[in-house]
Amino acid sequence: MRSNLTTTAKVYLAIVFVILYAPIFYLIFYSFNSGGTMSSFESFTLEHYKAVFNDNRLLVILINTTIVALLSALIATMIGTLGAIGIVSMSNKKMRRTLLSLNNILIVSPDVVIGASFLILFTMVGIQLGFTSVLISHIAFSIPIVVLMVLPKLFEMNTNLIDAALDLGANRRDVLTRVILPYIKPGIFAGFFMALTYSLDDFAVTFFVTGNGFSTLSVEIYSMARAGISLTVNAISGLVFVVTVGIVVMYYLITKRTRKSGEV
Amino acid sequence: MANDTIIRFDNVTKSYNSNTTVLKGVSFELERGKFYTLLGPSGCGKTTILRIIAGFEAPTTGDVFINSKRVNNVPANERQVNTVFQDYALFPHLNVFENVAFGLRIKKVKEAEIKARVAEALKFVNLAGYENREITEMSGGQRQRVAIARAIVNDPEVILLDEPLSALDLKLRTEMQYELRELQQRLGKTFIFVTHDQEEALAMSDEIFVLNEGNIQQSGTPVDIYDEPINRFVADFIGESNIVDGVMLEDYKVQFAGKVFDCVDGGMKQNEKIEVVIRPEDLHLTTPAAGKITVRVDTQLFRGVHYELSTYDKDGNEWLVHSLKQAEVGAQVGLDFDPEAIHIMRLNETEEEFDARIEAYTNEV
Ligand SMILES: Nc1ncnc2c1ncn2[C@@H]1O[C@H](COP(=O)(O)OP(=O)(O)OP(=O)(O)O)[C@@H](O)[C@H]1O
Ligand SMILES: [Mg+2]
Repeated sequence: MRSNLTTTAKVYLAIVFVILYAPIFYLIFYSFNSGGTMSSFESFTLEHYKAVFNDNRLLVILINTTIVALLSALIATMIGTLGAIGIVSMSNKKMRRTLLSLNNILIVSPDVVIGASFLILFTMVGIQLGFTSVLISHIAFSIPIVVLMVLPKLFEMNTNLIDAALDLGANRRDVLTRVILPYIKPGIFAGFFMALTYSLDDFAVTFFVTGNGFSTLSVEIYSMARAGISLTVNAISGLVFVVTVGIVVMYYLITKRTRKSGEV
Repeated sequence: MANDTIIRFDNVTKSYNSNTTVLKGVSFELERGKFYTLLGPSGCGKTTILRIIAGFEAPTTGDVFINSKRVNNVPANERQVNTVFQDYALFPHLNVFENVAFGLRIKKVKEAEIKARVAEALKFVNLAGYENREITEMSGGQRQRVAIARAIVNDPEVILLDEPLSALDLKLRTEMQYELRELQQRLGKTFIFVTHDQEEALAMSDEIFVLNEGNIQQSGTPVDIYDEPINRFVADFIGESNIVDGVMLEDYKVQFAGKVFDCVDGGMKQNEKIEVVIRPEDLHLTTPAAGKITVRVDTQLFRGVHYELSTYDKDGNEWLVHSLKQAEVGAQVGLDFDPEAIHIMRLNETEEEFDARIEAYTNEV
């Protein structure tokens, strides 16, 4: 792609990106500061990172966050993919449109509302707040995202492919595992990684439904930041940032590979 | 005879919703090992018939038999029938080898046998050596051949082909017509081929079914259908024809364009109103004095092999003429033709009545 951007446009773009990334890099920069504040940089140190890794509580939270993210993304991907297939194969058009709208409403509705309603639901049903409640709510808000990522692939798929598979002797299960799932694989991956990042950085919903000592990183950072400035927060943020970049790169590599081998 | 019947439709109708009937009572019998063509304009129900044979749709009423077994409720994956789809429907996530191997893998055929059979099928369609290509790297004609290989590798009794050549350019298309016909003869399988191209149908088939609006208009060999179209629709659809109103004075005497001519048809009522069909290639240019009808040349197109003249007689009937010789636009010319060139069509005659009449008057002679 040849870019025909004018100098002004380039400068504008540069400024936008600097503004977007500056706070993050500012934060990460001071995570290496041996002085205890973010106002003056004294000398380079890794002690805040050491503090993170020596703090068992933080490590447990880190592991919790990762487990919740991976597990909820995995389960949401399975449910969301099958749900999307179900929605698309629905013959009743009105019903299909209604379900799609309901799905989209869940995506745009504010986290606070979702979090509060889950809190009410869990207390009503009597589920203890903690790992389970956080996991369930993360699965729940990830499903619509997965559905949204998988749908375009399904819509783009030629239904004759299903007939062709049946014609060659495939049963319903074969059709699903040998035709539909491989075809929509890029959408499934996209959905999984989206769900992963949504779960990793969710604060509002988790804040509502967590309890009994269970905590995730974003909630923990929030409470640490409330308690007063500690550069440990910076170090954690730096780590999270690196992990996020890693996920994006991984996602990029995977989609690039599947695109190369699987496009019409 | 009955033993050779592989597919039978018994008064099959199909409606997708309550107010439209797509097939309006279709009956036919197909013999093993022949090349059949379903020919008809867009939307007449060709694909629907194939989908009913393949098992993707069930008939609304009527019965479908494959090998004398009623299959109305047998699902597609249990039928000995394979389809080459209009858009090929190759699996984009699999390469050529895996596409062709798909049906065998489903049937859990041993790996070594899969290898051998796929290689053989690809050789059959002249694609040996293309095993590891991605579908995206194949041309339209090659994709079509992959689709055919994917069907024949399963060794089905019947192969359904839904306008498989429609996306190809003229040259490749003609080439593929030869290849398909030859393939069918080598395999000895029943092919049911769908097209809306009459030349293609005439060139390839053992038997043609001409369809219109969910009804079979006429069935027969290409020569029968071309020479003896049963009604205006078939005459018009199969090749270009001149169709004029006339009166059957008595057997072998017909009146049209203001004159009486000898012909070879009979078995109709005296003075019955009929339609006369004469093919453009059966009309020969001559001088007005020597011709049976005198016409004025209106336009002339060069068609490569012949000139196509549009001419008008004094009553304003249009006569299309295919002539090897050039004519002068605006000139009066004579048209000559043989009695055999005159084909008589009764108004609203059904296929059964038509066959009965032909039988009756040919027995008389
Ligand atoms: N799933 C469906 N639901 C409703 N109507 C349908 C459906 N499939 C086909 N039809 C209708 O049935 C009629 C016949 O369709 P069909 O596909 O058999 O035509 P065709 O002869 O194959 O035409 P073409 O040459 O354009 O492929 C058409 O009028 C079409 O609109
Ligand atoms: Mg069709």
